[in-house]
Amino acid sequence: MASSAVSLYLDPQIRDWVLFPITLVMILVGILRHYVVLLLQNPPKKQSKETIREQRALVRSQILRATSAFSPIAPTYYKSISQSLSQAYGDGSFLKDGPPKGEDKPAPPNPLTDPNAMDGMMAGMKTQMVMMVPQMVIMGWINFFFQGFVLIKLPFPLTLGFKSMLQRGIETHDMDVRWVSSLSWYFLNFFGLNGLYRVILGNDNAADGSRDMSTPFAAAAAAQPQPGQVQDYNKLYKAEQDNLEFSEGLYSWVAADVETRILKKYGRTI
Amino acid sequence: MSTAHPESAAQLLYPPNVQFNASRIYTIKFVSACFAGAVAGTLGLESWLGFGLFLLSTLLTSACLYVKCKAKPAKYMAGGFWELVNPGQENMFSFLLLWTLFYGIVHVYD
Repeated sequence: MASSAVSLYLDPQIRDWVLFPITLVMILVGILRHYVVLLLQNPPKKQSKETIREQRALVRSQILRATSAFSPIAPTYYKSISQSLSQAYGDGSFLKDGPPKGEDKPAPPNPLTDPNAMDGMMAGMKTQMVMMVPQMVIMGWINFFFQGFVLIKLPFPLTLGFKSMLQRGIETHDMDVRWVSSLSWYFLNFFGLNGLYRVILGNDNAADGSRDMSTPFAAAAAAQPQPGQVQDYNKLYKAEQDNLEFSEGLYSWVAADVETRILKKYGRTI
Repeated sequence: MSTAHPESAAQLLYPPNVQFNASRIYTIKFVSACFAGAVAGTLGLESWLGFGLFLLSTLLTSACLYVKCKAKPAKYMAGGFWELVNPGQENMFSFLLLWTLFYGIVHVYD
């Protein structure tokens, strides 16, 4: 009786009351999750002009250095910007509290007790919780209400190993693995709806379930650099000074011999 | 004036445009994967035939994109040719989802 030519007949009411509702609920919960995460995010705290200047000062020299090998700016400008930045780093005039005073630098604040860093970590943990809870709730809901019957037939074959996972609640030995229960429909939706979220909600949406599962360590690691706000900017500036010098050696203007190139292009040479 | 160095060529790209192109292309690939899934399910294609249809639709989509790029894919997206053809991992799952859905609606239920 286990021939694959015999097919089961399923009540159309299963389709109306299980198939579509599960998909609809998952789509809506995903969208809800995205907006909840948006609402839960604290707006960034207002920081003083000096603090922001300290943080952004490094970026200025990085922008300059990024294109130094084929630089679009002429030598006079490049050298003057590079030298003024270098001198400012040496003097410490970008630092938040002014030039370094003496030998006694305060120890960097402990990330567990510093209030700024704590906020960053709490925000990360809050988003994690919001991501995981709906998934578990939906799985529990499906297991409770939609258990014990065959939902759909998969169009592609699977190995017997999947039978225990996909046919949970249906105690048959001979039924084709292709007939599956609602939990497997949940999994199909879980992976398949990410593309839909990306189209509806934009690229970095918070409704992406499968990405959380695949990068739990990456997410934890991404939360780590936030306590790095206690970096010693003085040291960073010194390092950046060296980098600036190195890039100055690499520097060459993109339009350095443009006259010769144009003449060559039109067939005339000096 | 033709710069042959890859770094200088990369320097000339304008990031907002690159991002816009990338998301447009992703949307196109996603929609085509959805339609392929619907077609496969409605036609009742089983295992290998269904995946064959997915492959066919990927090739058709990349051919259309190639024509739209005026035969110069490197100008419109990072990564050149492979970027054009690659359907993306998430679109594979979307294809599976819609294929299963339509197969179930049309062929399994009365």
